[in-house]
Amino acid sequence: MNRHLVALLACLAFGSAAVHAEEPEDYIKYRQAMMKAIGGHMGASTQIVRGKVSPAGHLAMHADALAELTQQLTQLFPEGSDFGETKAKVEIWENWAKFEEAANNAQRSTAAFAAAVAGGDADGIAAAHKDVGKTCKGCHEDFRQKDD
Amino acid sequence: MARGPAIVLLLGICGAAGAAADGAYLFNAAGCFACHTEEGGQPLAGGRRFETPYGVFYSPNISPDPDTGIGAWSRAEFVAALKHGIAPDGSAYFPVFPYPSYRLLSDADAAAIHDYLLTVEPHVQPNREHALSWWLGRWMMKPWQWWFLEQASPAPVDPQLRRGAYLVDALGHCGECHTPRKFAGVPDRSRYLGGTEDGPEGEAVPNITPHRDDGIGRWDADDLDYFLQTGALPDGDYTGSLMSEVIDNVTSKLTAADRKAVVAYLRSLPALARP
Repeated sequence: MNRHLVALLACLAFGSAAVHAEEPEDYIKYRQAMMKAIGGHMGASTQIVRGKVSPAGHLAMHADALAELTQQLTQLFPEGSDFGETKAKVEIWENWAKFEEAANNAQRSTAAFAAAVAGGDADGIAAAHKDVGKTCKGCHEDFRQKDD
Repeated sequence: MARGPAIVLLLGICGAAGAAADGAYLFNAAGCFACHTEEGGQPLAGGRRFETPYGVFYSPNISPDPDTGIGAWSRAEFVAALKHGIAPDGSAYFPVFPYPSYRLLSDADAAAIHDYLLTVEPHVQPNREHALSWWLGRWMMKPWQWWFLEQASPAPVDPQLRRGAYLVDALGHCGECHTPRKFAGVPDRSRYLGGTEDGPEGEAVPNITPHRDDGIGRWDADDLDYFLQTGALPDGDYTGSLMSEVIDNVTSKLTAADRKAVVAYLRSLPALARP
């Protein structure tokens, strides 16, 4: 039997297992890309909130994206993705309830930011934006190793 | 008539309140809180753990409890401890306590921090013994101080830079983490604020000199100012780790003028490339 056929049969036999066997290394890369996406929207909204630029309609786009992206935070840290090229601290998994709470705080703060942007009050937007930053920093403080 | 003494008394109270408020500001700018407070512990009661190449240190209680804290210290004793690393019993402290930076404080500011500390809530918590390397003893710190405490660089002439230098070099003691150390834990002055791979808690500490590639040379003054307020990096990331505590407890509590002075001073330093 041809080797390719064997491989194909094996794939069919273990089909679902093969499809779902995600490598922790890949998950780490995905997580880092997602975190960069969050950081990108945050950095962009900082520029707008501080009045450096004012592209029409963009702030709502960034705020909504932050609210959506932060919904996925806990999903980005599956068991087993704690070693290799990651700055995620093992405390995440050792102290999952605390980590989940930090992720919930981030979700609450981004939802409030999106609501403030929709409301349109400049002071409220600035305050809500600062609160988002606090939740980013708070979670990095406990759960991320320092840059090198 | 009672008005005279009343006015004197009133002035006295206002004076004391003013000094204590100033002391609170200086206390924050000097970053005393984080090191002297254990996670989940009583504020300023000490007990925070510091793992170092020389062993494990535990910070002492600096709340005003007279027996386990500093409540019984005179102002002069406190100033000697803060600025010169000399304990009330005459022994020398380990320089894990950043008196090599604090020695640049003015006596008046050191005294104001003392007076403020007497106003905070006292907590009874005996100091924990350090767990040091077998060869290391407190008695060695007298010769250490004599041998290694170098002459400070002259302060800048420009008033804003001078203020920034005072905030960064003395109060903020930024160099304690951001400057690499040489033999015997002595900071390498030739690489002042140049960062280190081997900082507290075994983590790397960034170069904060204005080098374009290896330091903060690409940040504009506004970026730095905003970072000191919020911990936001120019790319939208947020700092974590120990710097996050510094943002919360120290730099976000500075006045806008003082933050600007810090930024101006950092940007005036020699740009150091990665070694």
